[in-house]
Amino acid sequence: MRGSPETGDHGASAERTRLAWRRTGLSATAVGLLAARPAFRPDAGLLAWLVAAAAMAAWVALIAIAYRRSYGLRSLPPRPGRRAIPAYAMLAAALAVLGGLVVML
Amino acid sequence: MTSAVDNQPVFGALRQWFDPEKQPTVGRTPDYRFSLANERTFLAWIRTGLALIAGGLACAQFLPPLSVAHLREIIAIALLLLGAVVALRAVDHWARTERAMRLGQELPGSKFPAILALIVAAGALLLAVAVLIKAAE
Repeated sequence: MRGSPETGDHGASAERTRLAWRRTGLSATAVGLLAARPAFRPDAGLLAWLVAAAAMAAWVALIAIAYRRSYGLRSLPPRPGRRAIPAYAMLAAALAVLGGLVVML
Repeated sequence: MTSAVDNQPVFGALRQWFDPEKQPTVGRTPDYRFSLANERTFLAWIRTGLALIAGGLACAQFLPPLSVAHLREIIAIALLLLGAVVALRAVDHWARTERAMRLGQELPGSKFPAILALIVAAGALLLAVAVLIKAAE
């Protein structure tokens, strides 16, 4: 971890936080793929495609937020997350709503 | 447990979610390592929520139709709801912790982990009973 001696960040907290964002992105990827899956059935209707498109858009937004956060964590001292955090939680909740639509299909 | 929003119950809580720094600017900026630890706790909860959502989606798509009408859909919706609640609770807890750290107060406690554990355990027991009944038939 660069900069560790200068900041005294012996716990590598910036790096651990960056990896936590990445793990979370992987979980979000699994959810996005599961939400998009019904669109690839042979009898998929328009709603399935719309849900898949919305899920993919949410997924892109989640990955973009994580990417921006890793950028903020690279500065010295690392910037703690602010609006990225509620935005991420809202998008996760939105994925749950989309999941409800998938169940209803 | 300190309430962050004594005078504006709902609106204040929402404002605090989006900008704990400015709502109103209170206390001192804590050591960034504490803020990052709070952020990682939030992310761990979000992963829990996403896992519940993925579980709900997987139930809906991979389980065969169950003998009780719509039981599969009910399980899926319950898991999705639980996932959404976990995600929203995570951001609320993050904001309250952030504020407590700024004010040098004790960190907010929470009964939520215990409640979630009880719900998950109850669900697992119900499923175990269902499997046993099915096997006995």
